[in-house]
Amino acid sequence: MDQALPVASTATTRRMRKTLLGTVPVSSPLYQLHPVTRFITLVFLGVVSLFIDVPEINIILIVMVFIYLHWAKVDMSNLKIYLPLTITVAIFMFSVSIGFPSRLPGYHTFQFLGITFYFESLYWTFASYWRLMAMLIGTIQYFSTNRERETLVAIRSLKAPFVITYFFSLALRSAGMFLEDMRTIREAERARGLDETSLALRDRAKLYVMYMIPLFTLAIRRTDEISNALYARGYTPSGKLENGVHRSDYILTKYPIRRIDIIVISAMIITFIMVIILRAQFGIFAVAQSPLRIFLLSLWS
Amino acid sequence: MTAVSIKDLGWKYSGRKHFAIEHVDLEIPENSFVSVVGPNEHGKTTLVSCIKGLIPNSFHGVWRGQVEIFGQDVRKMSTERLAADIGFVFADPEAQFTSMTVEEELVFGLENIGLPLNEIQERLNWVCDLTMIGNLLDKSPYEISGGQKQRVAIASVLAMRPRIIILDEPTSMLDPLGKDNIFQILTNIKKDTDLLVIVVEHNIEQIAPLSDLMVLMYDGNIAKAAPPAEFFENSDFLLEHGIIPPQATTFVDRLKQQKLYAGTLPVGLEDAVDITSRVLRNHSAPKN
Repeated sequence: MDQALPVASTATTRRMRKTLLGTVPVSSPLYQLHPVTRFITLVFLGVVSLFIDVPEINIILIVMVFIYLHWAKVDMSNLKIYLPLTITVAIFMFSVSIGFPSRLPGYHTFQFLGITFYFESLYWTFASYWRLMAMLIGTIQYFSTNRERETLVAIRSLKAPFVITYFFSLALRSAGMFLEDMRTIREAERARGLDETSLALRDRAKLYVMYMIPLFTLAIRRTDEISNALYARGYTPSGKLENGVHRSDYILTKYPIRRIDIIVISAMIITFIMVIILRAQFGIFAVAQSPLRIFLLSLWS
Repeated sequence: MTAVSIKDLGWKYSGRKHFAIEHVDLEIPENSFVSVVGPNEHGKTTLVSCIKGLIPNSFHGVWRGQVEIFGQDVRKMSTERLAADIGFVFADPEAQFTSMTVEEELVFGLENIGLPLNEIQERLNWVCDLTMIGNLLDKSPYEISGGQKQRVAIASVLAMRPRIIILDEPTSMLDPLGKDNIFQILTNIKKDTDLLVIVVEHNIEQIAPLSDLMVLMYDGNIAKAAPPAEFFENSDFLLEHGIIPPQATTFVDRLKQQKLYAGTLPVGLEDAVDITSRVLRNHSAPKN
């Protein structure tokens, strides 16, 4: 008699793609978008927030990023690791704002636990915090859903000079190798009996300074190796051949730009232009337009 | 036709007192398999770096003599021409990775020499079949096994279809299985292509059966250059120069010293078994 085979869970059978800050299923609908579209999303979220002071809109942008991540099937539980960062930023910003507030004439004040709070100063910090969060979460979403290769494809698609894209690629590569070398050195030290936890803070700092010597030596060696490897395979910084023709770019052909990319990029560009015009011409998106601020100020009167 | 012609070559690295190699003369025909052997720090890598043009183009030092590749002075060849004509696989595969995925790594050199996109695709498919790495294309070259890394490194050079391919200790960082894979690929290259292959290698047992010419580098000079059978003739000389001949060769050499055999020395186990069988048959045959 046939026995039913155990069925592997979706989680274990789903093929995942490693991104710069996480993993995304290979089947994610996100990959319908061209890397340049995803890259422009990063730029859009980073730049558009600079023109929007109204915290409610920045919060809506953040919610939209979360909806986008959910649509892209990104494992949201991974994002928990950024929670301490967001809290630390909040503590730092509000501490500065409370401790060293702007005290312009006409500002509304209130007392709490014996401290005088300046409403306008505090609300500006609140607005700035959400603006910063929109930019931060936009960046996290990009690096959580994209790989180095896609970033390079995006930059090359934007016709950046070859030497710049290659420099960027090598920088990404060297960062990983630097960390890997540091891990190897630390493991070698631990294998020879070093217990970092027993060291005083000053000695630990000294230890980290000492790491720099082998790390820089290794970095110089790797620079030499990589330059030989590039030379051996015909690399020229200009990306031009002897006859003046540009080198081919095979990888770009793997990523065709579709109609959806044109629609999404156009939408972002139009939105961005509209935000600038509305802000510059009509003062919309200024903090004074915030519904929450208007409501809170109405409580004073 | 002579592929590589080296005349009175000498090279001294900047800041060093002595020449790393000196008075080196060598002629290598095309479509042959050459192994360069010898102890460490005796000039093997320097020699092949001079053939590739890495020396003097990427190193500072004093150059003497001449290296010609298919009749052209290596010092006068452009980076693009050198890359197209001579492929170079380094000992540490990670040291030569320049890209973030295996696919990019394989096409990087092809893009640099300006091949059209359809030919890049065709060569990519060909080299993936030859080196068995078709399933790795989407992976990062840093996240695959050591043997796979070296296969990717070899494939990235082979894809450029150079006329000469140089491999500098391609198995030195691999486990036994990884080494076997690389020697299998070298066997395939020898069988399926008409490249001149130059391999710097310590694994005499496995490289000798593949070689048409063996070159022993010692103290910056060529101590011996000969086809394998002739190369292993004087085992005492080789041992003095840091080379341990293959066990099959040593075994038959002992038979020769005991006057039981008088032919050429084998380098592979199968030939040694064959010779031994014949010796045993002759020895046990009834005397009339």
